[in-house]
Amino acid sequence: MKKRVPRSNLEKREQRLALKLLLPAFVVLALVAIYPLGDVLFTSFTDREFAGGEEVKTNFIGFENYANLLGITIVELPPVLDENENQVINEKTGEPEFERAVKVLPRDPHRYKELFQYNWFGKRYVVGARDPVFLKSVGNTLIFSLFSVFIETILGIFIALVVNSNFKGRGALRTTMLVPWAVITVVSARIWEYMLNPGTSGFFNMVLFRLGISDGQISFLTDPSWQMPSMIMVDVWKTTPFMALLILAGLQLIPKDLYEAAQVDGASGIKRFFRITLPLLKPTIAVALVFRTLDALRVFDVFQVLLGKKMYSMASYNYTQLINYRQMGYSSAVGIIIFIFIAIFAVIYIRMMGVDSK
Amino acid sequence: MKKTLFVLLLTVLFATFALAETVITVAAGAVGQELELAKDAAAKYMDMHPGVTVNVLETPDLATDRLGLYLQFFEAESPEVDVYMIDTIWPGDLAAHLVDLYQFDGVKELVDTMFPAMVENDTVDGKLVAIPWFTDAGLLYYRKDLLEKYGLEVPKTWDDLENAAKIIMDGEKKDNPDFWGFVWQGDAYEGLTCDALEWIVSNGGGTIISTDKEITIANEKAAEIIDKAAGWVGTISPNGVVGMPEEGARAVWQAGNAVFMRNWPYAYSLSNAEDSAVAGKFGVSPLPAGDSGRGAAALGGWQLAVSKYSENPEIAVDVALYLAGYESQKNRAIVGSLNPTIEALYQDPEVLEATPIFGELYDVFVNAVPRPSTVSAPNYNEVSTAFFQAVHSVLTGVETDTMAALEELALDLEDITGFEIIW
Amino acid sequence: MNKRSKKVISKTVFYIIIVVIFVYMLFPFYWALNSSFKSENQLMQTPATFIPRDTDGNVSFYFENYKAIFRNNTFVISILNSTLVAGLTTIIALLIGSFAAFALGKLRFKGKKITLYLILAMTMFPQVTVLSGLYAMITTLGLSARPSMIITYLIFTLPFTTWVLTSFFKELPVEIMQSAQVDGATPFQTFYMILLPLTAPALVTTGLLSFIAAWNEYLFALTFTSVEPAARTIPVAIALFSGQIARQEPFGEIMAAAITVTIPVVVLVLIFQRKIVAGLTAGAVKG
Repeated sequence: MKKRVPRSNLEKREQRLALKLLLPAFVVLALVAIYPLGDVLFTSFTDREFAGGEEVKTNFIGFENYANLLGITIVELPPVLDENENQVINEKTGEPEFERAVKVLPRDPHRYKELFQYNWFGKRYVVGARDPVFLKSVGNTLIFSLFSVFIETILGIFIALVVNSNFKGRGALRTTMLVPWAVITVVSARIWEYMLNPGTSGFFNMVLFRLGISDGQISFLTDPSWQMPSMIMVDVWKTTPFMALLILAGLQLIPKDLYEAAQVDGASGIKRFFRITLPLLKPTIAVALVFRTLDALRVFDVFQVLLGKKMYSMASYNYTQLINYRQMGYSSAVGIIIFIFIAIFAVIYIRMMGVDSK
Repeated sequence: MKKTLFVLLLTVLFATFALAETVITVAAGAVGQELELAKDAAAKYMDMHPGVTVNVLETPDLATDRLGLYLQFFEAESPEVDVYMIDTIWPGDLAAHLVDLYQFDGVKELVDTMFPAMVENDTVDGKLVAIPWFTDAGLLYYRKDLLEKYGLEVPKTWDDLENAAKIIMDGEKKDNPDFWGFVWQGDAYEGLTCDALEWIVSNGGGTIISTDKEITIANEKAAEIIDKAAGWVGTISPNGVVGMPEEGARAVWQAGNAVFMRNWPYAYSLSNAEDSAVAGKFGVSPLPAGDSGRGAAALGGWQLAVSKYSENPEIAVDVALYLAGYESQKNRAIVGSLNPTIEALYQDPEVLEATPIFGELYDVFVNAVPRPSTVSAPNYNEVSTAFFQAVHSVLTGVETDTMAALEELALDLEDITGFEIIW
Repeated sequence: MNKRSKKVISKTVFYIIIVVIFVYMLFPFYWALNSSFKSENQLMQTPATFIPRDTDGNVSFYFENYKAIFRNNTFVISILNSTLVAGLTTIIALLIGSFAAFALGKLRFKGKKITLYLILAMTMFPQVTVLSGLYAMITTLGLSARPSMIITYLIFTLPFTTWVLTSFFKELPVEIMQSAQVDGATPFQTFYMILLPLTAPALVTTGLLSFIAAWNEYLFALTFTSVEPAARTIPVAIALFSGQIARQEPFGEIMAAAITVTIPVVVLVLIFQRKIVAGLTAGAVKG
């Protein structure tokens, strides 16, 4: 019954088996991914209009969509001078005044619009972009992703450790911690929209008003200083359970006797966490990070429902370009750029965490 | 086994039977009563035409979702939907996928009885791409009881409104700290385009882009009235107004926390609902005037269009004609208070008896101003977005120089449309 | 004494943090529950109340929202559709994913890295970008709505199950496989008789997470079920909720629906949550 299989033979068998096991996944890949993804890549090099009808011709335009999305320029802003050639000082703000950016930014052959201004050695410069809205959406998405994924990871680890430890009511907590993830995304955005209402019929304004902190009229989703914190708060709420649950599963893989040994050695709880738990959790955290970052960089629902056209994420900008402006070629290029961003993040995580080695 | 065979046979039979019948699918709204009325009308049509089945398909009430769905159908040249219910601002954008309705019998006769501005809005390059079905326009809601209490008239100009709002607010705020003077749609979205267009037209500042394809927005009259509106934020209107859509404004109003509201006719019956705080205490009037001496109302509403990819365009047009016809619109006006597009219905005694407000609305509808959607097609969405973002930045104080903002907006519009700017 | 009081303080702080976190996690859900029992005018009340109250401040619950969502059977049908679609998607994704993960995590072959990245690449595009391509493909194939959703949901569930399971398979000691092989088991037998049961926590976790992801999907479902109303899933059904009059938002009903559809998922989690932590203690881990 016991038959020794030669090593090389075994390896060959494993290779054949691996191929067979991977086959279904490749079939799915071929079926649902190759055509749509290839189509997106191809379309991104054209000026195709979405649902343009038969009269609208599609032309191949090379990298023009990409150039229009990413093209920037920097111009110095001249100061506004009075009759005596002195710079005018704004009466209200007390700041020196400069020309409006629109007067100095190039208009031909491509119009550049203001992205932001900065001072450098006493001079004022303006950065103009062909599509400042897109570049801002990139910035928004990156800030959003970094903050929300970071907070989620910390909270997720903490919750997983709590739920994994021995105390009364952990079964109930294990279930309740998943509730936010289970609420339908489109609807959970609406719950938050209602809670963030401008006026005291909204929860947050009501609380701030009752505490006497504000007049209860904060427009969280319109005020630029509140928009991003609100988004991060909503996303952290929604997706921390995802992190927590994955990490909880990862904790189960750590053999109990390792802890016992450490306890005998007299290592404190915090020490045990950093010496044993965290290193062994690394692969799980890496995978969780990859998928959370991937989702965060593609964030759509919360931005679309809560902010609409006030502030874009890359994906909601992509949606607007396709559905509202019907620029299919252009929006495909946005899709490809998002793809590249995610790919870079994925590779960094995987390299950093050493997940693909072994 | 036998059972399976039987079922199979039945399916085949049913399938062939279904094939013999013409199926017309109408993509309509999801809204309760409105949908019921469309289904009733479809049932009546089927009674009259036994060979035709009319399916009424619900589509999401959120306009962007609905547009996205329609575009997917058009992109795939899908024959699945024959008749589409489309927004006032879509005819120009979707014209390439819609049949010219003038080519079919009876259409011209019907649309000749409708408000000319609405028909013109649905006409693209001389082709009629949609039939106006029901309409909408901006109105001023005011609290009768409070105006009486303070001995004030219904405001005829924006200045009157400001004064009245201030007086009443000062009086009421003592008892109710949540009380405000005027709520409207100040969020950065299509609704702000409507509100701001009304201000500008009422002040003689043009319609952003004229019907002759000229960009007219960069003018003093427009800047002046936008500045005025920016002055309302935080004084007679709550700071939060810059985040309010229609429902946000209605929430403040219906809780009894505002004297005035700019909104569409839909808020009328809801504000009169049993447990509403303002039931029976309010009235509606045309919006106030600015320098032009006349108030303006933005035109809204929905039209019926027939897809080019329909397999039975003639029957589809016939269905659309029936749905938008006199009898059907009359029923919709009486049962659902949906505003008819046929002028004569505003004098119909039965309609007026059911919904007396229609008498007052007639003047508003006849003067309603369409947004510059048909002229700027297929770029209206971009035009509107650039416009409401510019206005919003002034309202929120991000932009302090209104005229400069409008000049920059004109440049943006030039980039988007290629039209000439009138400075 | 000092040490003891220190311990008490740290324990108190610990519990306070736990309470804060769980209030944060549950409060919005509570607010939705609260709102679902309010009438339109109660929702507009200022200031908002923590339990539904009428204008005189008396507690007053409003049940019409719940009655309204069950007024016709479309909502119930959508729950069934969602269960079917999300359930099948999850099973297929777990099945295919665990096969692939076993190969990627435990077998020796060339091109592992590229395979992993290839599978991940499937899900790196924003949904809306691939939507029109998928829609064109589905109309060409003539697939009906439910299978279309199941197949396309694999775009985001399959890479997830594959990756997570791969990382778990890797963590399992090699000795288990070797000893099984010594006993004459083929690699495949080792896989489904020994390794798979050991990864139960991972299977349950990824299964739950993918189920919920599929359960929540909106954009694809909206498009694919547009001409097939009978196949609508919950998010689409909720998006089609509307007031009696255009522009009126039935916010109370949306909240009632949100609460109602969260319950089946919570039940599902209740059933499976023990498995998440029970998996490894059941079997011998060390080879």
